[in-house]
Amino acid sequence: MHTTSRASLALSISVLVISGWAYAADPIKIGLVNETTGPNAEAGAYTVNGVKLAVDEINAKGGIMGRPIELRIEDNQSTNPGTVLAYSKLTGEGGITAIVGPIRSTQIQAASPTIQKGGLPAMVGGTDPSLTKVNNPWIFRLRPNDSYSSRVIADFGLNSLKLKKWAIVHSTDAFGTGGMKALSAALQGQGITPVLTQGYTNNSQDFTPIVLAIKKSGADILATYMTNSQDVGIFAKQLRQLGVGVPWVGSPSIVTDTAMKLAGPALHGTYAVADYTPGSSPEARSFADKYKARYKLDSDVYSSWAYDAMHLLKFAIESGKATEPDKLRAALLGVCGWKGVEGTYCFDKNGDGLKGYNVVRNENGKITYLKHIDFKD
Amino acid sequence: MRTPDAIAVAPARAASRLPWIVLIIAVGILLPLLPYMFKTSDYVLNIFMNSVTYAMAVLGMVVVLGYTGQINLAQAAFFGFGAYSVALGTVSYGLPFWVALALGVGISGIAGVVLGLTTLRLGGHYLAMITISFQQIFDLVAVNWIELTHGPDGIAGIPRPSLFGHELSDQRAFLLFSTLVLYALIWFAWWLPGTRLGRAMRSVRDNELAAGTVGVHTLRVKVTAFTMSAVLGGIGGGLYASGFSYISPDNFNFARSIEFLTATLLGGAQSAFGGTLGTVLIVLLPEWFKDLPESLRFLTKVYLAIYGLAVILIMVFMPEGLWGLLRNAWGRVRKTAPQAVGKIVPLNFDIKVAHRTALLKLENLQKHFGGLKAVDGVDLEVMPGTVHALIGPNGSGKTTTLNVVSGIYRPTAGKVLFDGKDISLMAPHDRAGQGMGRTFQNIRLFSTMTALENVMVGGQRDNNPLQEGHDNLRHRALSALEFVGIAHRANEVVRNLPYGHQRYVEIARALAGHPTLLLLDEPGAGLNQTEKQELVGLLKRLRGHGLTIFLIDHDMGLVEKVSDKITVLNFGKKIAEGSPQDVLRHPDVIAAYLGEGPSGAAARA
Amino acid sequence: MEALANNFQVLFQGLALGSIYALVALGFVLIIRTTNVVNFAQGDFAMLGGYLMVLFLVGMPGNPDLGLPALGLALPYWLAIVLTVVAMGVIGIAFNYGVYYPLRNRPFLPVLISTLGASIFLQNTVLAVFNPQPRPLDKLVGVDGITVGGVFLDSQYLVILAFTILAVAFQYFLFEHTLLGKKLQAVSQDKDMARLLGIPVSLMIIITFVYSAVLGGLAGVLVSPILFVSIGLGSAIALKAFAATIIGGFGDIAGAIVGGLIIGVVESFAAYYISVPYKDAYAFVFLFLVLLFRPQGIFGEKVSEKA
Repeated sequence: MHTTSRASLALSISVLVISGWAYAADPIKIGLVNETTGPNAEAGAYTVNGVKLAVDEINAKGGIMGRPIELRIEDNQSTNPGTVLAYSKLTGEGGITAIVGPIRSTQIQAASPTIQKGGLPAMVGGTDPSLTKVNNPWIFRLRPNDSYSSRVIADFGLNSLKLKKWAIVHSTDAFGTGGMKALSAALQGQGITPVLTQGYTNNSQDFTPIVLAIKKSGADILATYMTNSQDVGIFAKQLRQLGVGVPWVGSPSIVTDTAMKLAGPALHGTYAVADYTPGSSPEARSFADKYKARYKLDSDVYSSWAYDAMHLLKFAIESGKATEPDKLRAALLGVCGWKGVEGTYCFDKNGDGLKGYNVVRNENGKITYLKHIDFKD
Repeated sequence: MRTPDAIAVAPARAASRLPWIVLIIAVGILLPLLPYMFKTSDYVLNIFMNSVTYAMAVLGMVVVLGYTGQINLAQAAFFGFGAYSVALGTVSYGLPFWVALALGVGISGIAGVVLGLTTLRLGGHYLAMITISFQQIFDLVAVNWIELTHGPDGIAGIPRPSLFGHELSDQRAFLLFSTLVLYALIWFAWWLPGTRLGRAMRSVRDNELAAGTVGVHTLRVKVTAFTMSAVLGGIGGGLYASGFSYISPDNFNFARSIEFLTATLLGGAQSAFGGTLGTVLIVLLPEWFKDLPESLRFLTKVYLAIYGLAVILIMVFMPEGLWGLLRNAWGRVRKTAPQAVGKIVPLNFDIKVAHRTALLKLENLQKHFGGLKAVDGVDLEVMPGTVHALIGPNGSGKTTTLNVVSGIYRPTAGKVLFDGKDISLMAPHDRAGQGMGRTFQNIRLFSTMTALENVMVGGQRDNNPLQEGHDNLRHRALSALEFVGIAHRANEVVRNLPYGHQRYVEIARALAGHPTLLLLDEPGAGLNQTEKQELVGLLKRLRGHGLTIFLIDHDMGLVEKVSDKITVLNFGKKIAEGSPQDVLRHPDVIAAYLGEGPSGAAARA
Repeated sequence: MEALANNFQVLFQGLALGSIYALVALGFVLIIRTTNVVNFAQGDFAMLGGYLMVLFLVGMPGNPDLGLPALGLALPYWLAIVLTVVAMGVIGIAFNYGVYYPLRNRPFLPVLISTLGASIFLQNTVLAVFNPQPRPLDKLVGVDGITVGGVFLDSQYLVILAFTILAVAFQYFLFEHTLLGKKLQAVSQDKDMARLLGIPVSLMIIITFVYSAVLGGLAGVLVSPILFVSIGLGSAIALKAFAATIIGGFGDIAGAIVGGLIIGVVESFAAYYISVPYKDAYAFVFLFLVLLFRPQGIFGEKVSEKA
């Protein structure tokens, strides 16, 4: 053999040995139920980005208690039955410490019995309030639920913008309908009845009837719970084309990267509640910068909560010094004051970790952070 | 009516299949018991639960599409009716599971009837659109009528039933139960094609026009098929709801209907086993894709694209599905057994005619197509026990007349009287029920069925003076086939028979129904001289038994030999009538045939 | 006065959306007439048109899993359209050979399924090449729109309406007044006879698919600035386009246009006056009624089956 070949062989062997020795500890397996394929694959890609960023960061610093994280991604095909199958596969595999995902409330609902049977902590990103009200001890919600988003919207609109004639536009899926109900309730609690409540089915191609209805109702403030970026884009444009300029406070979907690209100037000047805003805290800023540097894309809510989930799991495992499900669960419930990208987490007994939202504004295409509104209950 | 391709395998001897049947039964019993013997993960149980309940819906597709040839893209809606009935019934209204399931099956069935009734006017692409519309409306209602269906939130906490005091809350127990239900349904779907209804369904699939003419109530059969499909879907949906304890609208949408359709076609639409096989594959394939080795892992990103491509390839190369493929490979090994003819009872004709006057009478019959007067005031009488021919140049209205007589067209004006009764507006299958039989110019047999089965369908007409029972029908059919001389080929699929034999099967099919009047549209078409001689002999024998025959043909030699009376049409009007000698030398008739003499006309035939 | 303006607005939106359905239906009808094939992938031609424009105007993001490099392009708009048309033509040819040709003698059901498979294949191939993110596309004209009497007329919708009229006129002219059109008609009515008369049937069919693919692609190019470029664009439109062909009279060109416009207008007004979430249902309920009471559609003729 040539000297150079012998040298490189020796080098390779030593590298292998060293790296093998560095990771001689067996990995901690964490599952991810993700929408890799199917209609929601767009969001799924971002979630994986956030998760991988966290995993690589953690592993670069030696992993959790010296053990690297091994990610087990299961594709749920963006469907409910797929989520059930993905969860049952992961919980049945053995050796998995915790599972992250998904973000869709209806998928989480479908998998709830499976999660309960599986007996592993599930870190979910869905905001339907009922998810943590089904006495499922294993569900931990990493984002503030919609009862809070609606209260923040109501609070901001009534107290900061001081407007009382509300029009609520919402998609008729679980997210939109739940949000609408919660917002109506929050407003009613302040003695206000919305002047218009209008639903639409996802992927509507034309919002003219709704815009005309808004005009007719005389509303002076518009609140929305919309799911798809395309719907946001078309609606926003038609709103402006037909001359509606009232203040608009929307759910987080109007400040996603895609929605803003599609709607362009039509969304300038709008407000939104968002659980993830880069400008809201040093942690958020740092995550946004790292994400951008690595992926050349702007970070968003699909990636932020999953990033938090990973880091939170590390924190909880290390603080409880255990990966056993019951101990990890206790450790998670005990977390209070941990600063994530989404906010400061403090878990209540139902598994809700966050109870407030940021209010942000779209100023000529840039999202500026205005304030954070929190609730105690 | 176009049909999916299929090659039917003739019924084989039971004895040679016995070891396979035992094996299949053994596997069938063993499979649902495996989870009790080995620790099975929830994942696997969920997959099986999916497969079992989807398979029930797919069996519905086998019945309506595979057996009856009707496209149904709303199967997920029927699946949904069952699921929502169980979910809402148990969770919102507190009904016991069995009551809710029965309700679901009932509602689903009614929906099936409604959809089936739409086939009265439509078929093919239109039916596809109607079923798609139905499916889309179901989806929209499920999502938006929140007060009733809980909307997109879905319904959680659906309970499990108890059976004879045993709670089926254990996943394995419920799976076992559902599997047994599936087996029962598979057996039903396997048994169906050989029944009277099953034959009627297949005849509608293979040739709906002919089916109606030989006495099949085509609308009733199609409605029945849709109802069965809906019921099967409803059962599957109800069990699905309880099996997964949570349902939401996106489980019962158009995409799911497409999945059911694909599973049906992949496995093989014409077979209960094929449908089941297809379902298992559709459920498992995406999961298998996820378990690919690292080098092939990129395929998971594109597996849906491959799936789409695979669908095209299946349609091109495997139209009978996997099961068809397996069966063909198997079928090559066995040959069809010839039918023993020794013990066949001679055909009896049972001809009862009420009056000695005309059996068939056309009074000033008119049939116009827009401005075209195909039949323009024809008066005609066919006497009982005679052979009466209708001839004329091309386009003179002969076939149109025959079609009006058999009920395929409604007359624009005038009357058709059969044995004294006005049948002008009667549907074709009812005319068959009165004793009218018919054959077609372009042979219209049920191509995937055997000669025997074809003829049996003919014997299934209403009011057929035949004793009840499968054996009696079968014997009647064999007698008819023996009469026309091809009983030894009774078990062969008619598509494989030579042209001349197919003709005879068509005649036998009509004869099985004890006709008093036989309408023959160019029976000599496509036959050579020898075969025509045989045909003449056959027709004379039929007349000898008292049958009345009304026929169209272009071969003047044949017409001359066999007819008692000839009517000549030209441009929709009668131009001559009388005995063959008179008519065939009549100057007007010769002129109508463009100046050619009778020898010229005969040479042309 | 405002109520009148609103009604006109709703009408305009309805006509505009209806033209989109009509454009896709036009390509649909042509394929049905010549090959008797109901092409479930017709809507995906529109989707492809949009993505091709994105490719030529912006580039593609690349996919490391599949070894596809990222690509940045920035061609002028007019050139992008030309290249899109050419690419769609090629796709039409590929569709003919890959999906139609092997099944040309089969009954309608396998072919229908096959086109469904093609639709799934096309959507997911695009998904693999581009990522799932929906994308904007610039309008053809710089102006957003004009307001006339309180009614906002989106410039892109005006372009679509104009193009639809042109497309209809062109297709009418082609079919009724050119030899090529007569040959295409002959092929659609009796393939065997056409063949016997020396008409190159296969070529006619290829032309049909190319024309339909290009038409569908252009429909996509025109509608994407409003509805955005996304994988699911085709499916949303295709079903309604199919419904339009039936309402208009299966196989009739004028019928497809009228059918599309009717669906658009019915939807628009029903959403405005009755209920917005059920918007998609109205089209189907209307279709249901048409099929029940006048299955041959508005312009179709009753064809009796020959015995």
